[in-house]
Amino acid sequence: MATEHEFLTGTAERCHDPYLRCALYGAAQTVLGINGCCVLAHAPQGCNMLVNSAFGWQDADYTETLTLCTKLCEDEIVHGGEELLTRTILEAQEFNIPIMFILSSCGPEIVGDDIVAVCEDIQDQVDFKLMPIQCAGFRGSQYDGTDIALEALLKNLVTDTGQKTANSVCLIAPHANANPTWVGDLEWVKNVLAQMGVQVNATITHGTALSDFEKVSTSEASLLLSFDCGQKAADYLTTEFGIEQICKDIPLPFGFGNTRRWLTELGKRFGATDVANRLITEGEKMVVEVCRRKGLEQFFMHRAPAAIVTDATIGIPLVRFISEDLEMFPELICLRSSQEKAREILEKELKELGLSPRVIHGADVYQSKVALAESMPEVVFGSNIERHGTEELDIPFILLIASPTMRFRIINREYFGYTGMLNLIEFIQNDWRERYRSRQSRYQARW
Amino acid sequence: MRGMDNDYIAFRGNLQQLLEKVESGEMVPKLQASHAPPCKFWTAFMVVNGIRHVAPVIHGPTGCTYGVANAYKLTSCEYRGVPLEPTTCTALDESNVVYGGEGKLVEAIREVDDRYHPELIAVLSCCCSGIIGDDVETIARDAEKSVNAKVIAIRSEGFGGDFRSGFEDAFRAVMDLMEPPSQTKANTINILGARVGPTYTEWLEDLDEIKRLVSAIGVEINAVLCGGCTLDEIRRAREVKLNASWCYDWGQKLGDLMQERFGIPYSRTGQPYGLRATKEWVTGVADPLGLEKPARELIRKETDTVKTELESLRRNLNSKTAIVEVAEFPGPIRALSLARMAEEFGARPVVINIHPYTIKERMPSIRFLLESGQNPEVVLTKGLFSLGTFRSSRRTELEIRQLVANYDNAIFLGTPMRQPGIPQVNLTTRTGYPQYGFPGIRNIARLVESAVAHAARPRSKLFRQVLYGS
Repeated sequence: MATEHEFLTGTAERCHDPYLRCALYGAAQTVLGINGCCVLAHAPQGCNMLVNSAFGWQDADYTETLTLCTKLCEDEIVHGGEELLTRTILEAQEFNIPIMFILSSCGPEIVGDDIVAVCEDIQDQVDFKLMPIQCAGFRGSQYDGTDIALEALLKNLVTDTGQKTANSVCLIAPHANANPTWVGDLEWVKNVLAQMGVQVNATITHGTALSDFEKVSTSEASLLLSFDCGQKAADYLTTEFGIEQICKDIPLPFGFGNTRRWLTELGKRFGATDVANRLITEGEKMVVEVCRRKGLEQFFMHRAPAAIVTDATIGIPLVRFISEDLEMFPELICLRSSQEKAREILEKELKELGLSPRVIHGADVYQSKVALAESMPEVVFGSNIERHGTEELDIPFILLIASPTMRFRIINREYFGYTGMLNLIEFIQNDWRERYRSRQSRYQARW
Repeated sequence: MRGMDNDYIAFRGNLQQLLEKVESGEMVPKLQASHAPPCKFWTAFMVVNGIRHVAPVIHGPTGCTYGVANAYKLTSCEYRGVPLEPTTCTALDESNVVYGGEGKLVEAIREVDDRYHPELIAVLSCCCSGIIGDDVETIARDAEKSVNAKVIAIRSEGFGGDFRSGFEDAFRAVMDLMEPPSQTKANTINILGARVGPTYTEWLEDLDEIKRLVSAIGVEINAVLCGGCTLDEIRRAREVKLNASWCYDWGQKLGDLMQERFGIPYSRTGQPYGLRATKEWVTGVADPLGLEKPARELIRKETDTVKTELESLRRNLNSKTAIVEVAEFPGPIRALSLARMAEEFGARPVVINIHPYTIKERMPSIRFLLESGQNPEVVLTKGLFSLGTFRSSRRTELEIRQLVANYDNAIFLGTPMRQPGIPQVNLTTRTGYPQYGFPGIRNIARLVESAVAHAARPRSKLFRQVLYGS
């Protein structure tokens, strides 16, 4: 039976040590998922560093996708930067691009540069589409920026064809996922859908062709792949085009329980129950067999008090996975965002699992650190920030499963589904062993 | 040099001539602002982050804050053995932009003092707070009265200057923390111009070599400003006899200002690449302190230990054309130091693609280098001015291949990301550090030997296609 647990929200504090970047970053991440596009940051050059980070996160290819910056200086802040923006857009005519996204940062938005008017004025002079997106950093976190960009994309690029393609979906916000190689999760979803005979009309966004947006409204269903943002986009698709959001009340597919529920719901929705059942049976068998053959170490996991310090997208499904499959005992959950839907799902999960951890939504680094010091778990599922930030606490196991962490630790390997389970187990086992590696020899070798 | 097709050349001349063209406004690139990517805010943060136990309060949204914390603070934790300390901000939102965020900043400073008990709180403004006119300096002054920590403020709006101005303004603010000296300590110096994080300058190994050299002649270092110094060390910074730099360029402004304001002499020497520059660096510190004798002895002894390597460098560089490309590595000032080193060993240096903005931003340093007799040949190719990073890099790669084909007996000093088709010295490998001083001579000699020995080996198709697409 669930007991009372503490829910904290956001931060009432005035100083904030953030886990998240700003809206400009989230918007850049989102539009950079469109193949062959050009992103122009109407910003001082420092903000362009955020665009570069977003580029890396989207796994964009610099041979295809272009980024530019107007590199605003004091002159443009005093006298306005619209002229410079116009000049830069016109100079970009030498590129063979289908679309240019113009993202505005804090400076030009505060001084009143009208990027929408600039784009309207010169649209006829360029042979690519211009799409202005007002996403200054002060408009919110990176998740707000993703929502802003998704709204702009859907409103500007999606039209109602009045037709529906049977068994088709549109995938939303796969990139808003703290799995450092979230592309693996997306591929897993696509693979599962393909096995069920479901067509993916568009992924908003990753490797998205501009023409994919024309097919969005023909989708029967949408799948939101993040619990940190994207709900507004899913709601918009429902309202405007009657696209039903599926799997919306269950966590993403981590571990046996979540994956079973997720596949079952998909199977039911698309008349592919047999496929779902087969995937579940084969997947569970495969995980068990691999763990048996590899000799899964269980000792440190059984009833180990654990903390989850990540985004909601992977944090929420981890709860069931680590408590049901790995026998750990989550006693602290710090999530980087605070979406209503995510709260509801987490609350439901905790009730079902009879868990009563301390939960902090919208946590910052300081709150997480203090909460970790107070609860002193044995295991933390987190990132490099927790690894370094809690060094003096001497928490035995910091398992690096969330960004920021090393980019090349794994390449495009999923957390979703059965192979994803094994990937997570691999991390857990390796990090556990790493903790016990001797740091120094007790005496010198003699040979 | 064989006859050259000049279609892809934007400038050919010497450093002095390039400087004149930049001053007269003849070399105008397409986009304005700084050539180096960070803005003033990022670079100001880099300096502040080099002070131990400082709590930055960034008066702006979370993007600027997380950006610098992730890029500099977490990197220092990962690779420099630095503990994670907070990077806080006021998380300015739309309502603060409309109504002002000064009240929030005052409360944030108090909260930071309560939470973290830092020795120093550094308030940094961003574009947002700068444009709406929040007066960070006055707030910092007032807030200091109600907190235990020292509080400084740096106006570091990203649009407010080039990347270099962030370093300089932050160093100015740091100077305000330096207290009147109760004594002058004999044979004690500060090393100036470091930044980024505790013990994180460009490369730790270069700084270690500098420390080793000065220690060997009986000189103590009070502080490395700001490469991991403490507030106490900053306070005592005026007790030294002399300031020296680990890189003339970065130390220059702080050195000049400290000389002007506090009368502390500043040793103006370039980076200690090769024997000549190393000797100059050591004597530049030793002579003003009256330590000529131990310095001469040190140089004699250490030179003896690298005789073989010096011979190797002469053998492998003599009569060659040393093509030094600036790119991301070695960067402009290091490129000029490498050019000088190549010349020392008998090569003719040609510096490729030192950006006009770099000249503009580093004018005092470039002038100093010219005054000290460095005036290498400079070539700028048109790719440098192409719009779009990849296009620029790809075009430049092709141009460099074309350019080097015109030189007989050329050797390339620069990033291995280029594939010029001539012997190529990999100066970016971690096993090649330090590059300064006597161990630097050993390392560079080894790398040059390797470049010559493996000159005929083909470069990787994988590497080339990843970088340039074909």
